[in-house]
Amino acid sequence: MISVNNLSKSYNGVTVLNIENLDIPAGQSFGLVGNNGAGKTTFFSLLLDLIQPSSGYIKNKNIIVSESEEWKPFTSSFIDESFLIGYLTAEEYFYFIGDLRGQTKADVDEFLKHYEDFFNDEILQKKKYLRDLSKGNQKKAGIIAALIGKPDVVILDEPFANLDPTTQIRLKKIIKDLDENTGTTILISSHDLIHVTEVCKRIVVLDKGETVKDLQTSQATLEELEAYFNK
Amino acid sequence: MFKRFIALEWKQFSRSSYFQKGIAIKILLALGALYFIGMAAFMGVAGYFGLQKFMPDKDPITVVNNFVVYWFLADMVFRYFLQQLPVLNIKPFMVIPIKRSTVIHFLLGKTSVSFFNFLPLFFFLPFSVTALINGDYSILNVVSWFFSMLLFTLSINYLNFLLNKNNKVFYVILAILVAAGLLQYYGVYSITEPAGYFFNTIYEKPYAVIIPLLLMVILYRFNFKFIRKDFYLDGAIAKESKEVQTQELTWLNRFGKIAPFLKNDVRMIIRNKRPKQVLLMAFMFLFYGLIFYPQESYQDMPAFLAFASMFVTGGFLMSFGQLVPSWDSEYYKLLMSQNIPYREYLKSKWSLMVVAVVISFILSTPYIYFGWDIFGMIAAGALFNMGLNSFITLYGGVLNQVPMELNVKAKAFSNTQGFNPTQLLIALPKIFGPMLIFYLPYYFINFETGIICLAVSGILGLVFTNFFLNQIEKVYQKQKYKTIAAFSEKK
Repeated sequence: MISVNNLSKSYNGVTVLNIENLDIPAGQSFGLVGNNGAGKTTFFSLLLDLIQPSSGYIKNKNIIVSESEEWKPFTSSFIDESFLIGYLTAEEYFYFIGDLRGQTKADVDEFLKHYEDFFNDEILQKKKYLRDLSKGNQKKAGIIAALIGKPDVVILDEPFANLDPTTQIRLKKIIKDLDENTGTTILISSHDLIHVTEVCKRIVVLDKGETVKDLQTSQATLEELEAYFNK
Repeated sequence: MFKRFIALEWKQFSRSSYFQKGIAIKILLALGALYFIGMAAFMGVAGYFGLQKFMPDKDPITVVNNFVVYWFLADMVFRYFLQQLPVLNIKPFMVIPIKRSTVIHFLLGKTSVSFFNFLPLFFFLPFSVTALINGDYSILNVVSWFFSMLLFTLSINYLNFLLNKNNKVFYVILAILVAAGLLQYYGVYSITEPAGYFFNTIYEKPYAVIIPLLLMVILYRFNFKFIRKDFYLDGAIAKESKEVQTQELTWLNRFGKIAPFLKNDVRMIIRNKRPKQVLLMAFMFLFYGLIFYPQESYQDMPAFLAFASMFVTGGFLMSFGQLVPSWDSEYYKLLMSQNIPYREYLKSKWSLMVVAVVISFILSTPYIYFGWDIFGMIAAGALFNMGLNSFITLYGGVLNQVPMELNVKAKAFSNTQGFNPTQLLIALPKIFGPMLIFYLPYYFINFETGIICLAVSGILGLVFTNFFLNQIEKVYQKQKYKTIAAFSEKK
């Protein structure tokens, strides 16, 4: 689904990302871990064509993302608050994203019903603009909006950060469900090793822009990761 | 302690983004400030002689006193809309060991160092000095009058603080102003006379300077108490969060593919402070023609009339359009990664501008009063705005990659956004283009031909809408990464 070829990104001669080869097959749940500055967000930004690669390219379903916009209809993401429109209410935001993804208002309403638990009565009908919601609630709205319209590729940057424990558990369920019952390719970055090993079938560790580990998740993965980061 | 506060303020000032701009812009800004100061000083000096000349039987200071109430009222209104209040900065000081009263005094003191408080200084000072040199006035009276005026200005400064922060005060003052206005309008009671009498008395009795002084002190104390009471996270610095309703705006669905964007733009304009300011500005531009049309001297210079006509219908187009990608800077990454063709995005912005021109044009029908020639010119100007200026403005917008905080009022006179040489260059055809297109045929043939040429060039632009949008889309595409990077910079 996603393939990376000799991708690198540098700022003023400092290389912040350098991935020679990485293939993510369709339907995989893919986790990206690494310390601050490892290049996780840079990688996602390159994948979304928000920054230009210094060399190489990323293909999303055989489309080179920096050359064509054709990947946009089937790719969806939530990276940070700049993916929210602050002056909209949550409903308006969902309908807007729905509009962009060819979903009618009724479709979106039907879709949102599945996430009532996850919203925990804190998102819908709150009569508040998104900018006035708490960080955690903003994140909830952003994550769910990224799932509208059954995208083939979903990219979430640190989805567990800022969420309360109950919501974290519910989010894990949602991601697992998406992974097992649909063909969605899910890309997640996280600082929480436990969460990421729980929801991702494959985990790649980035360090200073390079892939240092590429693991198929198993019983031993968490220990291996903890040992690696406990250096 | 104050010294440290001042050091912090200095750092905030010298490290703010607009100060990091090129030297050319700094010079231009300084020149701009000097210009305003010079104008005010000139008005002060010329004002004195002017009043003396036009009303030889009246005393200039008395004349000023009679009308100064309107100056103060206008000052109040302008401040309410334009003056930024620094309240938000107290958060970092809440937990460190500084007395609250110190912080509040500093905060209130800081509001006095505002352009709005200096401008009258630059008028009243030269005016008073000129009066003393040329007129037969007592120094004591003039000096105390001068200070009274300054103290009134500062009182307005503190009143404005309350107006912005306290709804009760706002509605009380608003009610008083509306009532006074209505009474005056229907001739029941005129505030001008007693106000004039009041200010003249202040001039005649130098010790009356105590009145504005007391007023200022009372307002200051009032502010102090108000902030002191609310010096908590959920108090004065809490963000206001009103209950809001979801708005479907289904009537916009008739615009088809661009409807979702139009809906967002409409919501953006009505829900954020900054675009509301632009809307107000655009409305003011409707009256721009009143400066030119009634004057005899411009009747023989139709190129200037053409110039004015562009602004009558183009206010929104220019003030909104020049900041086009910036309006969406807070969530530009979303727009760039979502399923959005650039073209639809641009087209919705363009449609919004065109609709605004049409609305302005309808609102401008009262200009028929100045004759069909003028109105024809406005109509041709509207066409030119729709067909060409809209595209030029959109094109210029992408060069203006400054992130914008939507829900924060623009600071008066520190707004350098959209201020770069390219931007200036792009503004030239917007203004001089129509003047030329009108003037050449007018000069060589006649007035009607001038208007027709202006209108036809606009219609041609509309005919080639697709071509222009394609070209603009290319520029936006090319600038995409630069724009994203600029917008994600911290403000």
